[in-house]
Amino acid sequence: MIDHYDWPGGREAMIRFGPADGPVVVAALPLFEEANRTRAFVVTILRALAARGIASALPDLPGQGESLIPTAEATLAPMRQAFASVPGDYALATRSGALLDAGERKGRWHLAPQSGADLVRELGKLRHAGAADYGGNVLSETLLAELSAAEPAPARVVRLESDPKPCDMKFPGAPPWRRAEPDNDPALAALLADDIAAWVRQCEG
Amino acid sequence: MLPDGTLEVENAVRAVLRDVLGLSEERAAAFRESTPLFGALPELDSLAVAGVLTELEDRLGILIEDDEVDGEMLETFGALTHFAASKALK
Repeated sequence: MIDHYDWPGGREAMIRFGPADGPVVVAALPLFEEANRTRAFVVTILRALAARGIASALPDLPGQGESLIPTAEATLAPMRQAFASVPGDYALATRSGALLDAGERKGRWHLAPQSGADLVRELGKLRHAGAADYGGNVLSETLLAELSAAEPAPARVVRLESDPKPCDMKFPGAPPWRRAEPDNDPALAALLADDIAAWVRQCEG
Repeated sequence: MLPDGTLEVENAVRAVLRDVLGLSEERAAAFRESTPLFGALPELDSLAVAGVLTELEDRLGILIEDDEVDGEMLETFGALTHFAASKALK
């Protein structure tokens, strides 16, 4: 269901999934190109959570998705403030979405979280690949400087088996955020939804 | 776990090409030393190259500098594997 939320800087759209009661998981997509590559995959996870009786919300943050704020004017603090304003009990972030995961929550669950420094390094590679922008996005120097210093908050960290970085749990699968052509992976989404649902129930006691 | 042998690096390069370019298991398994990559695989455009290189960095725990990236290292599966091994196994 399409809904909206208010934050101190205005109003943005969000999609809601699942039951009207019980704990709510708020999801953050990665920044920039990876948001396009993972949107269908994250929505599949949220639908699978709904099937497991857990509600969720996927907000557009200022400068993202349907937001009227152009990406070129986006800066980190308003995006984090907007994410923190979305009502919900738990946060689910994918990749650089973990850098947007701010605010009071009972718990955070991060899929392959990426540090700001690593993100900025990758953006540099996209630029080197032959463009004045970053893989189709015009980004401000302010945002790039903010991102360079950004680190994800502590969370339950889940990674794919091919990823050697430390984590709490590993799952088999190919990283949808790397696919040059967006694709989905319902089998992996179901495994992750099982883990998120069990974790939420454990946190709820 | 980070790789400690050439075969592991080769398997990592094969898996990264499969995962980033969305190739079938069979197509990726058929890659040989001399299989041409850049210019021969339609999926491998310049954006996809950036994805392949960053995913290789993550999986092998290496850093690839921009000035090390040229047509030669991407010419064949063997060239890319040798480049990755020279980084990962030193």
